[in-house]
Amino acid sequence: MSGILRHRAALPCLVLLAAFAALPLLGLPDYWIYTTTIGFYYALLTASWSLLVGFVGRISFAQTAMAGLGAYSAVLLGQHLGLSIFSGLVAGVVLAALVGLAIGWLTLRLHGAYLGLTTIAFAEILRIAVTAEHGLTKGSLGLPAEALIPNGTRQNYYYLFLAVTVASLLVMAALLRSRVGLFFQAIREDEDGAASLGVRVTLWKTLAFAISSAFAGLAGGLYAHFIQLITPSMMSLQEMGFVLAMAVIGGFHNILFAALGGVGLQFLLELLREMGEWRLVVFGAVAIAMLRFAPNGVFGLLAGAFSSKRGDR
Amino acid sequence: MSLLAIFEQALNGLIISTLYALTALGLSIIFGVLRIVNFAHGEIYMLGGYVYYCAASVLGLPPVVAVASAVLVLMAAGALIERSLIRPVHEGKVDRPDEYAIMITFALSVFLLNFANSVFGPWPQRPAPLFRGRVEIGELIISGDRLAAAGAGVLLILTTVLVLRYTWLGKAVRAISQDRGAAEIFGVDVSRYSMLSFGIGTALAAAAGALIGPVFNVTPIMGVIPVIKAYIIVVLGGLGSIPGAIVGALILGQVESFATILIPDTSRALAYKDAYGLVVLVLILLVRPQGLFGKRERRA
Repeated sequence: MSGILRHRAALPCLVLLAAFAALPLLGLPDYWIYTTTIGFYYALLTASWSLLVGFVGRISFAQTAMAGLGAYSAVLLGQHLGLSIFSGLVAGVVLAALVGLAIGWLTLRLHGAYLGLTTIAFAEILRIAVTAEHGLTKGSLGLPAEALIPNGTRQNYYYLFLAVTVASLLVMAALLRSRVGLFFQAIREDEDGAASLGVRVTLWKTLAFAISSAFAGLAGGLYAHFIQLITPSMMSLQEMGFVLAMAVIGGFHNILFAALGGVGLQFLLELLREMGEWRLVVFGAVAIAMLRFAPNGVFGLLAGAFSSKRGDR
Repeated sequence: MSLLAIFEQALNGLIISTLYALTALGLSIIFGVLRIVNFAHGEIYMLGGYVYYCAASVLGLPPVVAVASAVLVLMAAGALIERSLIRPVHEGKVDRPDEYAIMITFALSVFLLNFANSVFGPWPQRPAPLFRGRVEIGELIISGDRLAAAGAGVLLILTTVLVLRYTWLGKAVRAISQDRGAAEIFGVDVSRYSMLSFGIGTALAAAAGALIGPVFNVTPIMGVIPVIKAYIIVVLGGLGSIPGAIVGALILGQVESFATILIPDTSRALAYKDAYGLVVLVLILLVRPQGLFGKRERRA
């Protein structure tokens, strides 16, 4: 992780940012601006999931449940405690982080499939509770939420989501470039080895869960106030399956690639609408093929091809 | 609550338990031999229901043949999945095999669910029943197809247990479950039996789906809830433990039948029905990850 790498990655990132910033100005229709804004929600989810799974090696199927937790707490706290939208969002993030902290702490000694099963259970309990408590959450009818930007245009939301996504990615990247990022990867590669070299494994495993959940909660809260109607289906395992497939196709060992997978696939899914449900079949098949043959994802492949062409690996 | 009502609840719990046990048994055999949890197990169960539907209602075959074809088709599919996607884990061809196995089976479930959704549509289909009519035991009335499904389930479970106990195949499967390396040294063709075990595991799930299909209709999402029950059961009994899968199923069936009575408000009680087992799952994993019958592992 030397300065050279940082320098080399900086240019493509800036080009990408400029491209996303320019999209609405180049006359992208409102409908596509809306679609891409939802894509940013998925980008945040896939990036935060990759932070946990790709870097710390802790599998979780509770990412969309955490987004749902953030969304429902932001809206419900706003309505019942009279919080402003902004404080509601903050409360949602804090709550998601605390629940993430609790799950991370409780599951410290679980690994692999056991951890996967436990997080599935947490996610489903949360979804069932939100569905069942219809007095509070209106169950599967959906909970209406206030608009984030009063009388905001599609473009306003687009730029807000873009800004939040970029800022979040920068925070995650800074974290991963710091010593903490090395601790994470050390834990992923060899937990006992890392512990013997003085990495506080317990602390970082727990915190990683909390950080990842916090970003998911932020994504969920913003999403709720953007689409203005949330249902428990946003927390379902099918939704989690999409997030997993997006991250895998983009490349879940790199938060930027995973985020691009999220926004890119959301865009593609809308573009291929006339294929009907078959596009999701293709999507699943591509995710399987990627995992098997190209675990670094589409963008990982592209980046690899690009850097080997320039001969400076 | 009258005595009759208690009997009825208990019997319903027992019938459901049998089919849960069948699904869980498949999951447990796969875990025992391959050390992976098949997160696409629910979709295999669902496809079992659809194969039954195609055979019984579209082709008009007799129900027994339809169940058998579901079992055979998905056994072959399972073997194919093992050969193409799971075997690389044991050949050291993938980095971080644990994660790979979890994610690839989860991605497979996304693929299969949407595949069924595209081919058959999201609406429920009602296949021809296994058995018409009903059975009366004193004042207790049970519908015939439920009883037939449970009966066939018990038969399949017994067959599987006996095969595992007394045949060479069963011995090989148990040997690999205990120690893969040692089994190989003693001449067990590990990769062949791994493929076969995965096939048997998916066949059992398919059988459960085929048997339950005519009772509750078949839909692409029919496997989502039952597979979670199967996870709960295998964790409760101990991952990879065969008696554990059966005892776990019996416990869960009864917990769910009776726990509904705990919350007085019926609509909320029903809504929370699926959550009780999940709470049990979380508690078991946190307190005793090896389950009731499982072996203790240092890294759960």
